[in-house]
Amino acid sequence: MTDIKHHAYLFDATRCIDCRACMVACSVENNIEMDKTRIWVAGLGVTGEYPNLQRSTMVYHCMHCEHPDCMSACPVGAYTKAPDGPVSYNPDVCIGCRYCMNACPFGVPHFDYDKGIIDGAFIDKCTFCPQRIYNGQEPACVQTCPTDALEYGDRDELIKRAHERIAAHPDRYINHVYGEHENGGTSYLIISHVPFKDLGLPELPETPINEVSEKVMEMTIPFALSWGAVLTAVTVGVAAYEKKNGKGKAEQTK
Amino acid sequence: MKLNITLPKFLRIGTLPLILILFMAIAFVVAMMRYAFGIGAISDLSYSYPWGFWISFDLFTGVVISSGGFLMAGTVYILRIKEFEPLLRPSILTAFLGYIMVAVALLVDLGQPLRIWYMMIHWNHTSVLLEIGICVMSYLTVLAIEFTPVVLERFPKLHKVAHLIHKFIMPFVILGVVLSTLHQSSLGSLLLIQPQKLHPLWWTPILPILFFSSAVTVGMAMIIFESTLSSRYFQRGLETHLLAKLAKGLPVALGFYLVLKFGELAVAGDLGYLFTSGVMSALFWAEILIGAVIPLIWFSIEKNRANPNRLFAGAVILLLGMILNRFNVSWFAVKHPDPLFYMPTFMGNVKYFPTLPEVAVSIGIFSAGIMAFGLIAKYFPVFEAEHETEETHAPVRRLHPAPTAADD
Repeated sequence: MTDIKHHAYLFDATRCIDCRACMVACSVENNIEMDKTRIWVAGLGVTGEYPNLQRSTMVYHCMHCEHPDCMSACPVGAYTKAPDGPVSYNPDVCIGCRYCMNACPFGVPHFDYDKGIIDGAFIDKCTFCPQRIYNGQEPACVQTCPTDALEYGDRDELIKRAHERIAAHPDRYINHVYGEHENGGTSYLIISHVPFKDLGLPELPETPINEVSEKVMEMTIPFALSWGAVLTAVTVGVAAYEKKNGKGKAEQTK
Repeated sequence: MKLNITLPKFLRIGTLPLILILFMAIAFVVAMMRYAFGIGAISDLSYSYPWGFWISFDLFTGVVISSGGFLMAGTVYILRIKEFEPLLRPSILTAFLGYIMVAVALLVDLGQPLRIWYMMIHWNHTSVLLEIGICVMSYLTVLAIEFTPVVLERFPKLHKVAHLIHKFIMPFVILGVVLSTLHQSSLGSLLLIQPQKLHPLWWTPILPILFFSSAVTVGMAMIIFESTLSSRYFQRGLETHLLAKLAKGLPVALGFYLVLKFGELAVAGDLGYLFTSGVMSALFWAEILIGAVIPLIWFSIEKNRANPNRLFAGAVILLLGMILNRFNVSWFAVKHPDPLFYMPTFMGNVKYFPTLPEVAVSIGIFSAGIMAFGLIAKYFPVFEAEHETEETHAPVRRLHPAPTAADD
């Protein structure tokens, strides 16, 4: 297999036939129960009016964002973003606060609500099958997909391929590759024949969502130090003023 | 020896402590069920609603109503406005217990409660939640230090230690104010990461500033609320003149908050949502009117500030409105991703309503807090007035007739 610089998926909604083999493959590969699979398929039913009927299906799993909000939000740093794509989760440090679930704009991380303190309740999400992709294989869901609705490869290459396909069939596709710029870019790219909103995908800005909170966080330490300095100055000042003017005068400052 | 005389008296008070103990027992049983069978067994939390009543009530409300502690510490120690000293200890005790309640509630809410201390060793510096965790843990320590003299004063032999702590208290007071400022505001920053989930009437980059300024108003109202209640329950004097002075500051703080809130909406161009968002607009107006506008007018009238009952009523109104604000920001105004985003089996719960056991946990923890406040206030010199009478044997100044009969 050729060296892949930045692992990514491409999902073509026009090709998906709702067979759900990817869900089975994911559950087998990662040894997880079917109802906790890390990939899930939503059949959106038949839309449109006769004779222009359409049927669409959406396959979701972790978007492997370039600027992951889960990673930005996690207090203990349980998430890491590999420079070559995958966003992974480390259960060994997770405290189970579920802030990542709030932070993720796609609602991807899910939590063991049925596990007590002995089993331990953790977050679960798509890992990008590191055990496969780093050994020259495709992720389990991609390899199983019978219609090539899910493809795997280098991100830049897949974006190029997506645009080529849209250009070749402008009547079939909406001229947009979801994930190319959304939330600062994702490693799960989607092209579709129905509006992305109908596929349940949120409308996101091109700047990463976590930019605002990370900027605020950067200001924390300088703010704390200067606020502490101001308070110390006030303390010393008030005490000095009181000493100079005798007790009780300082009360009038209020 | 005092213990022997007071203990039967405490037993005789009866009903209220009994009810509190009952609530605590229920919460304990529910919490044990949660530890055995998981959070899903007792709550309605789901993939679409990872945070619910516990976060809104225990964390957001619990932290904000504990803000009186740093306000009073700052006023008395830093600004040296000594006349407020009688309010200092009860406020610090309220804050101390409030934060302990937050921590206990998190032990139920976290998936890995035994790892809560991981926040001390695994740091992700971009996480707002980490800042809150670190600040709350440090502030709890500061509050413990600030409160220790009260405990030590109870034992004459330890008075020297109390004096020693008192001598070096200033750095801790300043640290406490800084930590409080940080985490009161960071609770607002917590929502900054969900701009597409939180309604635009609430989501703004200045959420931290709004949270801090409203926390200041809640702190003042909480001091009024809690001193009035304890003056009735413990049949001691009420420092109405002090509370009135405190209440004078409320219209200023509330005005500042309102200007910020509406100013931001105007600048961001979100004013249109004020009337067009249905339930959201209604919730927004409810929170603004009850939490800010009505209290602002109420506390501007001198007659209302001079009367303890009216002071209390005003504080209750403000608290209700501001608590609604915290619920709005952390729950009601948060819209989670479209249901179809979830796998069919996950879709069972795209709506969230707290279950009875969920609420029972919070009530139980809250009851424990009230109980602890009562016991500590009874056995330790928390209220300056009581402290004085112990020494001078002067009768306690009473504004209200002792409600002993009603209490039993």
